[in-house]
Amino acid sequence: MEDKNNIALSVRDLKTFFYTNNRCNKAVNGVSFDVEKGKTLCIVGESGCGKSVTAATIMQLLPTLSRIEEGEIKFQKDDKIINIEKLEKNGKEMREIRGSDIAMIFQDPMTALNPVYTVGFQISENLKYHTNLNKKEIREKCISLLNDMGIPLPEKRVDEYPHSYSGGMRQRAMIAMAMACNPKILIADEPTTALDVTIQAQIFELMDKLKKENDTAIILITHDMGVVAELADNVAVMYMGNIVEAGTADDVLRRPTHPYTKALLESVPVLGRGKNQDINPIKGSTPDPYNRPIGCQFAPRCNWQTESCDVMPEITQINETHQVRCHKYEQFFEKYK
Amino acid sequence: MLLVISFLVYSGLELSPGDAVSHMISPELASTITAEQLDAMREAYGLNQSFLTRYWIWLTSMVQGDMGYSMAGGVAISEIMVKTVPATLELSMVALFFSTILGCSLGVISALKRGSGTDNSLTVAGMAGVSIPEFFFGLVAILLFAIELKWLPVGGRLLPHYETLWDRIPNIVLPSLVLALMMTAGAMRYARSSMLDVLAREFITTARSKGMPEWRVNILHGFRVALTPVVVLIGFRLPLLIGGSTIIEQVYQWPGIGSMFIRSVRASDYPLVMTISLMYVFVVLTASLIIDVLTALIDPRVRLGKE
Repeated sequence: MEDKNNIALSVRDLKTFFYTNNRCNKAVNGVSFDVEKGKTLCIVGESGCGKSVTAATIMQLLPTLSRIEEGEIKFQKDDKIINIEKLEKNGKEMREIRGSDIAMIFQDPMTALNPVYTVGFQISENLKYHTNLNKKEIREKCISLLNDMGIPLPEKRVDEYPHSYSGGMRQRAMIAMAMACNPKILIADEPTTALDVTIQAQIFELMDKLKKENDTAIILITHDMGVVAELADNVAVMYMGNIVEAGTADDVLRRPTHPYTKALLESVPVLGRGKNQDINPIKGSTPDPYNRPIGCQFAPRCNWQTESCDVMPEITQINETHQVRCHKYEQFFEKYK
Repeated sequence: MLLVISFLVYSGLELSPGDAVSHMISPELASTITAEQLDAMREAYGLNQSFLTRYWIWLTSMVQGDMGYSMAGGVAISEIMVKTVPATLELSMVALFFSTILGCSLGVISALKRGSGTDNSLTVAGMAGVSIPEFFFGLVAILLFAIELKWLPVGGRLLPHYETLWDRIPNIVLPSLVLALMMTAGAMRYARSSMLDVLAREFITTARSKGMPEWRVNILHGFRVALTPVVVLIGFRLPLLIGGSTIIEQVYQWPGIGSMFIRSVRASDYPLVMTISLMYVFVVLTASLIIDVLTALIDPRVRLGKE
């Protein structure tokens, strides 16, 4: 992580707050991470922990009631470093980055495509705004993109409407759209939650292939630990707007140091261990974002809670790559030594 | 459909008191005329036959394309229709044109600036437009623009072969705008809610994530999808436009089919009433056919069985 040139996107102390009915929801409350070129960063966490808001913040696609409160999003474009948070929300510079340098895939391909335009038209819009290709070249590019995504008969399919595509095909079309301009960063916000497992595997294979071929950095947002184990190079675990643990996939999955990460991993059934295995769900549920616990956000649900947890723990760097936000991490980390 | 409605209207006319003959005779004559003379007149017009026989005669001749003659003036109904239908069509089409364009654009503006002063005042204006009856607007508009400001004529319609197109425009402005007003208000409210609904959908975020300018996101991706329900609404309001034109034609002395309809009902001139109401039914049915075709054009999901 020391090599600055390797970092495509660097987020520092990012805070995004939502304002509704005079109340403030600190959806993302001081998040920092780096995305390396050609690597996959998985952001994991349960519903409402701020994963998707983080993604939307990077794209500046936040709803009107929310805004970036603090922090920096530094994006490395060629040799320049651009501070995304300083750009106007729908201004020209932001639009130039969107879709061309940073692209996004959404959760539900059923609703993320516009039903009244052909798939080809929707892919071509991207090319029209970010490249100088003429009409014929754009069409050829659309067909070859669909072909790359493994859609059969792309010459015919390019003129079809989303409703005649299956769910998996629509997500492929979405990826084709996102990859149209060879983005440096691809943000995938739970791209397979709405699809069934076989299609899920195909989509991830495809994303992995694209990552290797184009050196694209991927930010994958998910709550599926299996997916994390399969795809991630780096993992960040989020809870209530904070990153509680981050590191390489090995660090986080094999040597989980934060009680929350541990609990998450223990709550996943393991294939081959039979039906009598112990699955330990995390007790309680996520606190009301308007009525947060003081100090460590996970403390009320934590088995190891002590008085020291009334103060929000700072991020501790365990080793070069592994960092955690817990007072008692040493206790857990001892075991792995 | 046409058959059922024609029968219903016919029965309704039969149930109403008096007949064409009693309207034909002036009050002065009524005291001197004998019952035999009245019966003779009824026989001449075929009114002495039973209700069902008359309906059957009317129906068969209608199917053959013979609309019959007006009982009040003895003029061929086809001739009356040729004179009045273009006038009404002209009025309603101009009103439809205004209301569609105005309604959609105001609705979209209102949706894009949700919660702003523009949106709120448009909402109030829209509610007023929907709830205040159009004859009231008609009269107010005459008072203001024709009598006080003297910008536009009070009413009437110049005949096509007398004047150039340019001379005829001032006469149509007031009635068509007043007629359009209610439709505009409805279309605007509907366009606004439909647009808001669409703007909250996920594909709008997708479109924005492609880095396209806001106008393209809003108009090409937003409005295009929001348009379908608005077209359906306008289509179903089309009969309302024609119904409304009956009143507006009265207010502005517009020699269209609406004012003709009122006159014929007063005179129990049943062949004319029948023809006009049949035409209304026909317009409603055609309108829904046009809507179906239009929605299929706008929304590819409706195009079925093409594969």
